[in-house]
Amino acid sequence: MLEIRWHSRAGQGAVTGAKGLADVVSTTGKEVQAFAFYGSAKRGAAMTAYNRVDDKPIMNHEKFMHPDYVLVIDPALVYTADITAHDTDETVYIITTHMNTEDLVASQPKLEGKKIHTVDCIKIAQETIGKPIPNTPMLGALMKISEMYEIDFFKDSMIRVLSKLPQKIVDANMVAIQRAYDEVQ
Amino acid sequence: MAFDKMELRDIEVWDGNFAAAQAMRQAQIDVVAAYPITPSTPIVEGYAKFLADGYVEGEFVMVESEHAAMSGCIGAAAAGGRVATATSSQGFALMVETLYQSSGMRLPIVLNVVNRALAAPLNVNGDHSDMYLGRDSGWIQLDAYSPQEAYDLNFIAFKVSEDHDVRLPCMVHQDGFMTSHTAQGVKTFTDDVAYGFVGEYKPMNDMLDLDHPVTHGVQTEEDWHFEHKARQHNDLMTKVMPKIQEVFDAFEELSGRKYNIVEKYDMDDADVAVVCMGTSVETAREVAKEMRADGIKAGVVGIRVLRPYPFAEIIEALKDIKAIAALDRSSPNGAPGMLFNELAGALFNTDSKAALSGYVYGLGGRDLTKAHLVDLYKELQANADAGKVLTPLQQFIGVRGPKLAYL
Amino acid sequence: MENNGWNEFEIGAMLRSFDGAATNIATTHTEDRNYSNSNSFTASVADWRIEKPLFNKDYCIDCQFCWIYCPDMSIISRDKKMIGVDMDHCKGCGICVEVCPTNPKSLLMYAEQQDEDVALAEWPEKETKEK
Repeated sequence: MLEIRWHSRAGQGAVTGAKGLADVVSTTGKEVQAFAFYGSAKRGAAMTAYNRVDDKPIMNHEKFMHPDYVLVIDPALVYTADITAHDTDETVYIITTHMNTEDLVASQPKLEGKKIHTVDCIKIAQETIGKPIPNTPMLGALMKISEMYEIDFFKDSMIRVLSKLPQKIVDANMVAIQRAYDEVQ
Repeated sequence: MAFDKMELRDIEVWDGNFAAAQAMRQAQIDVVAAYPITPSTPIVEGYAKFLADGYVEGEFVMVESEHAAMSGCIGAAAAGGRVATATSSQGFALMVETLYQSSGMRLPIVLNVVNRALAAPLNVNGDHSDMYLGRDSGWIQLDAYSPQEAYDLNFIAFKVSEDHDVRLPCMVHQDGFMTSHTAQGVKTFTDDVAYGFVGEYKPMNDMLDLDHPVTHGVQTEEDWHFEHKARQHNDLMTKVMPKIQEVFDAFEELSGRKYNIVEKYDMDDADVAVVCMGTSVETAREVAKEMRADGIKAGVVGIRVLRPYPFAEIIEALKDIKAIAALDRSSPNGAPGMLFNELAGALFNTDSKAALSGYVYGLGGRDLTKAHLVDLYKELQANADAGKVLTPLQQFIGVRGPKLAYL
Repeated sequence: MENNGWNEFEIGAMLRSFDGAATNIATTHTEDRNYSNSNSFTASVADWRIEKPLFNKDYCIDCQFCWIYCPDMSIISRDKKMIGVDMDHCKGCGICVEVCPTNPKSLLMYAEQQDEDVALAEWPEKETKEK
């Protein structure tokens, strides 16, 4: 069982990201689950989204998890949200920030000694998609760090997942995914 | 008919809401009258979009309240259309008056209830308060534990509800957020196969049959009211379960997915069992498997059909169990929980010597963790060993503060 | 219907207006319609009356006021000609008499046991108003 927790603000696309990831993973014969905990359910409020992936049907519906990956797609949540909740020694973090990993850990001491990767999904999204929607670039970074799928397969899959969007937006998302894949530290 | 078909993949990653909306599209609902409410909004929103995009031939009626939504459904069903809608929580509560109307008038409406807590305090998350509120309304109540089941049970609901021997409205329940907003793999039907299963709507006593005028919604006082209510109860007690079983069988033949009036998991040799509904059934299934590694023969009973109440099936499922926990996800507010009472009622005149205890959990969406269930199974094993309930009969799980226990 | 048990009704407390199909109903007179037992047309309320209206066609001008105002659709009119009162459904409210504009009135209330021929023979004269 692979478990992923997203930390996001409502409106940044964590749910769409989690569901998109689940959709892609599902096509490879795995069982998937993607859900979210909305809290106060207002745009801008901190929220969490979750993925589970397994080879057998997923029965567990608890929100509680020991995450294998923690994906933080809003930089401020490193300081205001409990992003290390129930982590393990093996938990891998991918965090959106303008800082490098060393400076980030220095700014948030509770990340000391953890497996931290950084990438500026907000900047990438602004420069490619034109909006600070950091969900798809985070998935590009996840592909690099987790080595879950070849990036070309993943991008092809995401083209299908995003197929209801205008072609221009889909293209921009592909650039964003590739950039985050290349830039994650 | 003038609508487009939709190409679906064999497995789509859908949340429970979208699965229900897709089922409503594939069943080709004639009328949806709705007043959307969290967390069921995407169901009627989904139907409306399918309609606007030309995938359904029907009518979406936007009304001014949930009371009006069900009233609109009643009118459309009496007129002779295939009718469905969705609601939750406060909206469901406002609908209650009309729920009794629709069942009393024997109108086959399918209502997707995305279970949510009832205020106060206001809460949009999932518990079973609304589902419990509907249990005396004369509707059939089916409970889904996952998006796949929300999809499947919609087809089953139409087929049972619209049968001319049944003609009773049917709720399809799913847990707010835990199912409705949780995306999982859903095995789909093609549009033709899905519609073929549900079948063309066959009207009965419809008001649009102008050659056979009928009066729906009559008044009866002391003279006839009891007879009509007795008839409705009789049909719920005698006609619905056989029809549900028949439709479950047909559905299994079509899809390979087997549904049972009472679902039993690892119950063949179980000593202790948890009885619950919704997503908790699946979480408990996983825990029960893990308990067996610790030497506890744990099983799970899931209530698939809450109404009519599966009295005989419950007795059969629990006959050899030594300790049973009834898990109620709704505040009983001054009584034992509904499941506790109804299990006790079913088992009382049997040879069962089971130690029966009740638990209240998960109100307002509070997480039911696997750790909670591990502790619970251990308590059940202690009860089984002692041959009696060692704890109070009613305990609360997962609530902050001093331990709550009564009775 | 009086002693029907719970199992002898159609479901849904649904009532049929007619036995079998009702075609061309708008052009069929009420007495020729195949009203069912559950239609109120087949139930008599004659015994509800204390007084009954009697009709004297000698004075009637076929204005149809009584037909319009009768709350129980008990005025029988054919081709806009007043024929009489449907005594199975008239409850004796007297509204038809009240609205009758002729002088003397063409409808008058009498005790239920009043003989019609006697009443017609003794019908009141035209009233002259004092100036």
